[in-house]
Amino acid sequence: MPIKVLPPEVTSKIAAGEVIERPSSVAKELIENSLDAGAREIVIEAHNGGVSYLRVADNGCGLSAADVEVAVRRHATSKITKLDDLEHISTLGFRGEALPSISAVAEVEILTRDMGSSAATYLHLENGKIVSREKKSRPQGTSITVRHLFRSLPARLKFLKSSNTESSHIASLVSQYALAFPEVKFQLTIDGRNSLQTPGDGDLRTAVSAVYGLETAQKMLEVQGTDGFMYIQGLASPPSVQRSSRSYLSFFVNRRYVRNSILAKAVETAFEGLLMTGRHPVVILNVAIPPEEVDVNVHPSKLEVKFRNNSSVFTAALKVLRNTLAKSPLPGVRLESENADAQSLWERFPHASVALPSLQTLGQLSASYILAEGEGGLYLIDQHAAHERILFDQIMAQRARKQPDIQGMLEPLSIELSPSQEEVMKHYQGLLAEFGFTIEPFGSRTYLVRAVPAMLDGSNLVETVKELLDEIGAEQDAGQRELKAAQSLACHGAIRAGQQLNSQEMQNLIKQLEHTSQPRTCPHGRPTMIHLSSQQLKKEFGRTG
Amino acid sequence: MKLSCLQENLNKGLGIIGRAVATRTTLPITQNVLISTDQSQLKLAATNLEIAISSWIGAKIENEGSITVPARIFTEFISSLPNDVISLNLKHHTLEIKCGRYEARINGLDAADFPPIPQVGDGFMTKILEEELKQAISQVAFAAATEESRPVLTGVQTEFEGSKLTLAAADGFRLAVHRSNLIEPVKDKVSMIIPAKAYHELHRLMSEPDQEIEITQNAQKSQVLFKLKNIEMVSQIIQGTFPNYSQLIPQTYGTKARIDVAEFQRAIKMASIFARDGSGIARVIVTPGATVEAGKITISARADEIGDNVGEIDALVDGEAAKIAFNARYLSDVLSVIKQAQVSLEVTTPSNPGVIRPVGVDNYDHVVMPMFVQW
Ligand SMILES: Nc1ncnc2c1ncn2[C@@H]1O[C@H](COP(=O)(O)OP(=O)(O)O)[C@@H](O)[C@H]1O
Ligand SMILES: [Mg+2]
Ligand SMILES: [Zn+2]
Repeated sequence: MPIKVLPPEVTSKIAAGEVIERPSSVAKELIENSLDAGAREIVIEAHNGGVSYLRVADNGCGLSAADVEVAVRRHATSKITKLDDLEHISTLGFRGEALPSISAVAEVEILTRDMGSSAATYLHLENGKIVSREKKSRPQGTSITVRHLFRSLPARLKFLKSSNTESSHIASLVSQYALAFPEVKFQLTIDGRNSLQTPGDGDLRTAVSAVYGLETAQKMLEVQGTDGFMYIQGLASPPSVQRSSRSYLSFFVNRRYVRNSILAKAVETAFEGLLMTGRHPVVILNVAIPPEEVDVNVHPSKLEVKFRNNSSVFTAALKVLRNTLAKSPLPGVRLESENADAQSLWERFPHASVALPSLQTLGQLSASYILAEGEGGLYLIDQHAAHERILFDQIMAQRARKQPDIQGMLEPLSIELSPSQEEVMKHYQGLLAEFGFTIEPFGSRTYLVRAVPAMLDGSNLVETVKELLDEIGAEQDAGQRELKAAQSLACHGAIRAGQQLNSQEMQNLIKQLEHTSQPRTCPHGRPTMIHLSSQQLKKEFGRTG
Repeated sequence: MKLSCLQENLNKGLGIIGRAVATRTTLPITQNVLISTDQSQLKLAATNLEIAISSWIGAKIENEGSITVPARIFTEFISSLPNDVISLNLKHHTLEIKCGRYEARINGLDAADFPPIPQVGDGFMTKILEEELKQAISQVAFAAATEESRPVLTGVQTEFEGSKLTLAAADGFRLAVHRSNLIEPVKDKVSMIIPAKAYHELHRLMSEPDQEIEITQNAQKSQVLFKLKNIEMVSQIIQGTFPNYSQLIPQTYGTKARIDVAEFQRAIKMASIFARDGSGIARVIVTPGATVEAGKITISARADEIGDNVGEIDALVDGEAAKIAFNARYLSDVLSVIKQAQVSLEVTTPSNPGVIRPVGVDNYDHVVMPMFVQW
């Protein structure tokens, strides 16, 4: 398509704005242009955080000498022509703003050659004006070099962080595109160092391996599914892989890298109770959705999109993720050979569904673990973690019914709270009541507990209440508070390590565990059981090769 | 030390003191048993520092002496010997055991290093028939709390007044109170909190219902001694004040139902099958009978996604219809210690405690706090 300047009725509808905030915004625009140009290989080079030098070179379709002159003008684009086109955008760019905006705040060199041209066109722009043109040689594709970003805007320059920080912004941006486009070979060099290189073989897992490392990549679980008009595909980490930041969540909508709270919520919900608190999974989700179902024209840097129907997107993503997690493997027991064949331990175990194999208890180890035999070998079940999961599910079910099971106290239990616990108590008395506590003030910082959630067996009630208050108080995120409270209660109500169980009790525990939503992890995300496969036993005892 | 005794007696004696041997301990010698001559008998003793049990068996003493040996090895070896005469001979710190053609040598530790078995004999003293005390313990001790955060509740309030002994235990959700008779009245009222665990052990040691048991508190009121025939158990006394429990026993009721214990137990057991997957809730509905027909009690339980059950039993009902929910375990716990054929269940409202008492005797009250449920 030829490059044309958009008519005013279209430009007025475009969510325009300053798109160049920092070096990584330049990188973003240039990479998107390369991808829109069909590049299979993109080389990015940055120096000094991308402020002094940033270059993006591709082997895309390139531009003719005539087109390139138009491309640098404001609202010049080859990607849309009329207002209607905004309704179904399939390219990453569409505003025709990037090149002029960048050249307004930096020195820009463009070297490009399209298929029909015998030589490449070189343009040099300063302050948005073309200062020189030349013919040079270059294979088909485009290289754009941006120097001295914001040199003319010292105020803007002041807002930039250290060059390390800016470099890391660029690196994480390139990583996201590398994950979004596994079929494109990305190469990122920062200050002369090779920072990232993806093979561009079209396999998301190898892209993940390049970005997050081989170990993570190998553990990632395949995510795939359709729901109505949506197709969702990607990779998600098993609960054993946990990260302390949300930055390992990558969402791509129609291959556009976006930040999206709906998808983030779906991930969070799918992993609820599988991860330790404050921990996050690694997830890459590609959502393919008809262009008319999503509005990409809402954010100046196109980082956000709006779905027409949020709840159907949420439901679809949740469903697909849950299906994946249901197949997540048990952590295997590794005996001696830490690295030898560690991979095969995971794969030998059939993970057809979330259900547990039927287990026969053999005995109790250290008064803490239940030994059980089941299909495919030996299982070691952490009695506390398992019971925690059972109670957690009960608590959640009772909450869903808005009907906690409550046990009255024959004699009110008096507890003395710290000043901060008292604050929490005053604020969250309602929440405590929802869980089944009846607690009344009784003089200075003393409270009377008149009823407690039935799943508490009565031991250490004072501690339970205090710790619950501490946990609720420490949780900043209002949405997490309830979950925290439920986890805390499940933990306190659960049988402890060190408690002798008879075989009837062990069998009951396992049976109840089977009925839970996630029998393999406790609400904090730790495993409830580990598995030593028959094959592994054979191997460890030298019975097989 | 040199002596001989019968394998049968030694084995039995070791079985008696075995429960007082420390299992997990920071003081390794408490995993040993103390063997010493005591006049014309052999005294065996063990302590885990919470309780100490001593037992005496008949023996032919040649030389006096004492030693401690590892409890597990000694007990296991003795129990596998034939029932014959065993001779024990201490040479330095090695105990030589001979029995017929079997012999063994076990290295011991000096008896002087063994924690002294407390001497209790200088304070309050009374006597009770074993049968009485045994029943009192069985109906009360299980209601004590098992955790340590409120130490007094892990104990059983033990009160001597006049010719009555009252035992009471509570764990915050239930209260059991039992009254029995002493052989002779005591002069002053005395009360002490004895660990429920110690009572459980004492209960286990009781095997002669008609025997008198002597109960002695030391002058410091820190320890109590139970003297059975050839067996003594000393327990620490829990320091503190037991809550005033009598005010927790409801004085009136709105509904009183007389129920057959065995039927009640069966219905609770069935409810437990469904209740255990939830919070153990057994819902009890009491329906008074018409003038001629009997009343009834229905007991039901349900578990999410699994199912539910209802059982109905006949009852003699006095008062209005009532409903109340209990933790099924609390009901089965109390029913299993009642010897009488019938119990009465008294309730007032769904949120006030219920009381269970055996019918025909007036020595036991069991108060259970209900669960608050939607009906
Ligand atoms: N790397 C590239 N390869 C080929 N064409 C490019 C490249 N970069 C920019 N262009 C052309 O320049 C036009 C303007 O780019 P830009 O200002 O980023 O606007 P937009 O991407 O929104 O169309 C694009 O529409 C495209 O035709
Ligand atoms: Mg663009
Ligand atoms: Zn946990």
